[in-house]
Amino acid sequence: MTKNSIDLTLKIWRQENSRKTGVFETYRLKDISTDMSFLEMLDVLNEKLTREGRDPVAFDHDCREGICGTCGAVINGVAHGPEPETTLCQLHMRHFENGDTLVIEPFRSRAFPVKKDLIIDRSSLDRIIQAGGYVSVNTGGTPDGNATPIPSATAELAMDAAACIGCGACVASCPNGAAMLFTGAKISQLSLLPQGQPERKERAMAMVTAMDKEGFGNCINAKECEAVCPKGISIRNIARMNREFVKASFLG
Amino acid sequence: MAGTGSCLVLFLCSHAAGNATLFHSLRLFQAYANQLHGHPMIIYVLSKGLFLTFAIHIITGILLFWQNRKARDHKYKVQKRTVKMSQASRTMIYSGLFILLYLIIHTSAVSFGDHETIGLTISYLFSSPLVILFYITAFIVLAIHLSHGFWSMLQTFGVNHPKYNKLTGWLTYIVPISFLLIFGAIPLLFI
Repeated sequence: MTKNSIDLTLKIWRQENSRKTGVFETYRLKDISTDMSFLEMLDVLNEKLTREGRDPVAFDHDCREGICGTCGAVINGVAHGPEPETTLCQLHMRHFENGDTLVIEPFRSRAFPVKKDLIIDRSSLDRIIQAGGYVSVNTGGTPDGNATPIPSATAELAMDAAACIGCGACVASCPNGAAMLFTGAKISQLSLLPQGQPERKERAMAMVTAMDKEGFGNCINAKECEAVCPKGISIRNIARMNREFVKASFLG
Repeated sequence: MAGTGSCLVLFLCSHAAGNATLFHSLRLFQAYANQLHGHPMIIYVLSKGLFLTFAIHIITGILLFWQNRKARDHKYKVQKRTVKMSQASRTMIYSGLFILLYLIIHTSAVSFGDHETIGLTISYLFSSPLVILFYITAFIVLAIHLSHGFWSMLQTFGVNHPKYNKLTGWLTYIVPISFLLIFGAIPLLFI
């Protein structure tokens, strides 16, 4: 072990496909540079496994710069690992100690079936978006950038909600596997802006209905989602979704 | 949960106000009970409404509990909670069921008893230290239930704004503690 490297024991969930039951397998890694990201550490493990003729650990990843929302796993019981407001790809090995044992599990929820190892099927979130997470825009000339005035404070709130990358950590950390923070952020983002007004009520009804249909749990206001969210989305967005839903259901 | 919960908080307020007559004297309390039962229409509507509110609150709570358990069908091997506050929120079903047990005992012993001698009933009831202990335990559990429930109710109604969050944060402690102090002091009057 050199100065800037650590030895680790990994307990990783291995599951061949969604029909089979998985098990934890233990791997030991030596000399992991503390400058590596968590995913790079998994790359090192996979190279080792491949060389040994074993099946590498399947995990989702894409941009590796914390903005796409593709990666994610539960590390020692916390979605995206111990650092606040950090995606798994932006979590660096310097946050772990030499000799640590890390239990790595996929994001779990009834609405997130495991496809293989750490890869889960998050298409349930896509179906919530398909139900109403859009604005309908007629084709035509490009509108002028400043034609629709938006107060700065409103734009900031909408942007805070729009920061959601749809990784699913909120669902994974919720004691009930609820997708309220995700849906709340997506509804808020559009309901705050003038462009989202025409479909505001239909959107709130359709997205909440779609969310319930997917088999997500219900919010009990435990605030776990907000604590693990890599983008720091506030549960204020859930309150806003509740307001939008109540308005849409009672005021038509 | 929030709709019926807010009705139940209002009921607790009126119940606490009525019981507060006990701080004056048992006679005043008996007079209050007689006065209340002098209006059978009010008693009829409120007691039926209250029963319905409790029933909806309890049945919805149990249904949601089962739904939520089903949604989290795979447990994690290691689970670390990042929020300390959520202890009360995760035990809502258990604190709720304990309050239900208390309600059954309390209503069968006091509410459905003879209202003309209700003063005697409670002074007889609170002559037992075990009953006092049970009542005070129930009030503590109620305070825990409300410490999550009150804030949670506001959040469900969409009341969450940086301007008011400090106030709602305070209220979520003040409301359950006030109920605990008022209700909890009553059995102690009989020691």
